[in-house]
Amino acid sequence: MARADTAYLLLYNLAQSIGWATALVQTVLSLTRHPSGDQVYSAAGLTVRACQGLAALEIFHAAAGLVRGSPVVALLQWAGRSNCLYAVLHCIPQLWPSSAVAVLFLAWSLSEVVRYPWYATSLAGGSPAWLTWARYTLFIPLYPAGVAAEMWVLYSGLPWIASRRLHSLALPNSANFAFDYHWFTIGLLVIYLPVWFNLYSYMLSQRRKKVGKRPSATKTE
Amino acid sequence: GGTPRAAGKPLSEFGITDGSTIFFKDLGPQIGYATVFFWEYFGPLALYAAVYFLPQLAYPHISERPEKNLVQKLALLFWTFHYAKRILETFFVHRFSHGTMPIFNLYKNCSYYWTFGAYISWFINHPLYTAPPLERSIILFTLAMTAELANLKCHLIQANLRSGGSKEYVIPSGFLFDYITCANYTAEIAAWLAFSAATQTVAAALFATAGTCQMVPWAVQKHKRLRKIFDGKDGRKRYPKRWIIFPLVF
Repeated sequence: MARADTAYLLLYNLAQSIGWATALVQTVLSLTRHPSGDQVYSAAGLTVRACQGLAALEIFHAAAGLVRGSPVVALLQWAGRSNCLYAVLHCIPQLWPSSAVAVLFLAWSLSEVVRYPWYATSLAGGSPAWLTWARYTLFIPLYPAGVAAEMWVLYSGLPWIASRRLHSLALPNSANFAFDYHWFTIGLLVIYLPVWFNLYSYMLSQRRKKVGKRPSATKTE
Repeated sequence: GGTPRAAGKPLSEFGITDGSTIFFKDLGPQIGYATVFFWEYFGPLALYAAVYFLPQLAYPHISERPEKNLVQKLALLFWTFHYAKRILETFFVHRFSHGTMPIFNLYKNCSYYWTFGAYISWFINHPLYTAPPLERSIILFTLAMTAELANLKCHLIQANLRSGGSKEYVIPSGFLFDYITCANYTAEIAAWLAFSAATQTVAAALFATAGTCQMVPWAVQKHKRLRKIFDGKDGRKRYPKRWIIFPLVF
């Protein structure tokens, strides 16, 4: 890879590492002051939205061949999380005080604060074994927690999406197009589980390769 | 392993005798190209017409049944012509380099065409459809039909490039091929853009975009392959300077 490309990616991964670390700190501080979690969105929402917005670049990284992976997959992953964050959570303030937001932000920031430094160190020469372990192990509880929280946000948003006809377009209009975001969100909830299950299985199989079999503890009598 | 062997030749021509080891690769369940094409084109043909003629099934929640206006009728005619042409080309025009494809493609392709067909038809034939000005639509439908006929001519030229059972690549020439490598794709995209504008329907524009996003990489591959084969060395012709798919742009 060209030196300029590596430098750029290092910078990108560093920026995201700092961004998500900030979000994590803001979330944790908010929880210590308000343990119900009802201030988490006010505390960390802007940081999370900024990081997620910046993450759109990853689609272009894949499309340009700077990183391995399909740009279509990158787009779908970014779009899924962005839909939850921008189109639903941010647009429905009634959801902000819920503890699911705390779970969501914790799950996201804990995963990202490991993932981006792992990418950065891989680029810089090699990730330390403990970081690789963290990257391929912490997802085991964090993915399901994050998915559950995302689905909770989407599901809880449904009544407001319906009553406000949020992001929806009705006929007649000159573009002859209609879109029912309420039904779209229901459809999304239906496919969330099979899609995330696939991703989870893939990460588990990657884990076996990268972390290897853990030696079984020998029993001593 | 070894190198894959060409079809149609006796094993002895490759030095394979009693006691030689032959490697097989399982391509998975296969299905004929023509079979897939027929079903992926018949679906939209039937579904579009079904939505047009059976509003009580397509819009059960709407009781008004306004009469279809001329734009909607022309859209039905164009759509039917397009897919009937595709089916006829499958059986009478196209020469396929491979006989079969994996059966998974049948489900994948049919999902794509059938879903879009129903989706587009639902909006164009909707009781609340708003037609663009008639004069504009007629001009655009005429453009769309012209592009269709251009596409047909391209297909006929391509079908006649190779003689007999030859698998040799030949530089396409004549008509739009003198200027564009994948003129057939160009005509197809033009037809769908014109159709989208004639019906003024976002759903049709989405379909045109989806098709374009698939055809552009195919065009690039084809163009690269032809330029690689026809490099002008060892008595081979040199591939002429041509647009890949969008004249004046790319």
